[in-house]
Amino acid sequence: MLLTPEIVTIEILDSIFILFATITFFIAIYVVLYWDRNSFTNKQYHLQMQSYLGATIIKFIFYLKIPLFLFFVYTLDSIANLLPGAMCGAGVVNATVYGTPLLFLKILNIYLFGYWIVLHKEDMQTKTQTYIRLKFFVYIVAYFLLLSEIFLEFKMFGGLDVSQVVDCCGAIFSTTDSSYLAEILGMNTTLLLSLFYGTFIAMSIAFFLKKRYLFSLINLFYLIISLIALIAFFGTYIYELPTHHCPFCMLQKDYHYIGYLLYIMLYLGTFYGLLLGFIDFRKEKEELYRKISFTCNTFYLFLVSYFPLSFYIKNGVWLS
Amino acid sequence: MIYLENVFKKYDDVVAVDNVNLKISEGELVVLQGKSGSGKSSILALIAGLSKPTDGRIVVDGENIAMLPDHFASLYRRENIGFVFQRYNLVPSISVAHNIMMPLIPLNLPQDLLKDKLQKSMKLFNITHKENVMVKKLSGGEQQRVAIARANVNNPKIILADEPTANLDYKLSLEFIEVLKTLKKQKKTIVIATHDPLFFNLDAVDRVICVADGKILPCS
Repeated sequence: MLLTPEIVTIEILDSIFILFATITFFIAIYVVLYWDRNSFTNKQYHLQMQSYLGATIIKFIFYLKIPLFLFFVYTLDSIANLLPGAMCGAGVVNATVYGTPLLFLKILNIYLFGYWIVLHKEDMQTKTQTYIRLKFFVYIVAYFLLLSEIFLEFKMFGGLDVSQVVDCCGAIFSTTDSSYLAEILGMNTTLLLSLFYGTFIAMSIAFFLKKRYLFSLINLFYLIISLIALIAFFGTYIYELPTHHCPFCMLQKDYHYIGYLLYIMLYLGTFYGLLLGFIDFRKEKEELYRKISFTCNTFYLFLVSYFPLSFYIKNGVWLS
Repeated sequence: MIYLENVFKKYDDVVAVDNVNLKISEGELVVLQGKSGSGKSSILALIAGLSKPTDGRIVVDGENIAMLPDHFASLYRRENIGFVFQRYNLVPSISVAHNIMMPLIPLNLPQDLLKDKLQKSMKLFNITHKENVMVKKLSGGEQQRVAIARANVNNPKIILADEPTANLDYKLSLEFIEVLKTLKKQKKTIVIATHDPLFFNLDAVDRVICVADGKILPCS
């Protein structure tokens, strides 16, 4: 078991989250079961007060979880030095069987938490609190995912063994393997880039035609294809090394922490894009979110495209 | 327009409002009469949407205001309620004009409209000559006129006053009654919580309602 100040911080915060999230879990069940806006009984007023308390706690957890995710990624990177064989966060994630599902769960939760916050905001802006049951139902789902995430986090940090040699990105994201991941990452570059830029063009069309559901759906594809393209192709130009496929190394100082900017842009772009498919916003708000999404996604596209282009301009050749 | 149905308000074990049923029509001037601690102020706070009932319904213009989410409760207060507090609740270190303008700040009105509303309100309550004077330098009666001007600057439909003459002498109390008459002429619905006998036999008052131990009782 490894205990660094970063891990202790995360685990203390996790314990606080479990306590508060569990209190709110019971409030959420109560609201989902008994909320009745037309009632004016003591029970209903009490429930309204409890729903405010619950929403405040959830906001507290979620607002902390978002920066904490960045801190988690930073922690993975910082403890990589302690594990033999690990050179970046990828080595730490791969050191136990819990790392990869934990990472996926964290990403899923970040999207879900963001969705909850927007849903809550919308709910409080309608006189009848239209989304109150839905938002607490979403919270009940999020609660179990949060518990699973915290469980995996404890297991992962608890399972780290400094005497054991681990694989790092060079082996995990190798394209010469016979794994599914290797097949995806070894995808033909022309096909990969056509899919990436093609998805962006489709998204642009949906943006200008103001097709809400289509825009949302394309954002989902864009998220997936962007991550693959980043690891398989654009990342190699960030590292200027054709065999280096890693989603973590770009978060390090050596690469000017560019990964943080890329991931934040991709998150904001796809988050607001996806949101349009799930919530019926007022016209102006829908327009605003569509613009935020498109701007962030465009920024991401230009930023990742910059690396191969600048490499080509400087060296006159492409990496192969 | 204001309708309280089976309303209870409890603070832990203390019942401040006990099964109150009350209807107040538009333009009516109603006095809630009762001793200190009888529940008058709690009833005013409930009508103002400043607190929520433990049970029952408070309907204003067809809407149960007790179930409004916080954001809408604020909007309701901003658009419908002018509240005159017993201790006026003015900011002593800023001018009369700035105190009166305070409810208009969240509305982001254009400057000319803001000034127009301010001037009208100050003129109506005869406080224009003190426009730039700091509130702490005013007499009790003047402070109260500022409080009323502030309550009315938004042109609310409902004016609520909690013990408005508690800190005034007889002469100033009579002045306040003149102010009330002005507001009544403007068709405002006015609810005053007081134990000042001066209000009980006024022509301008449409109804006196007696409150004791949180209940509405026949006046003896």
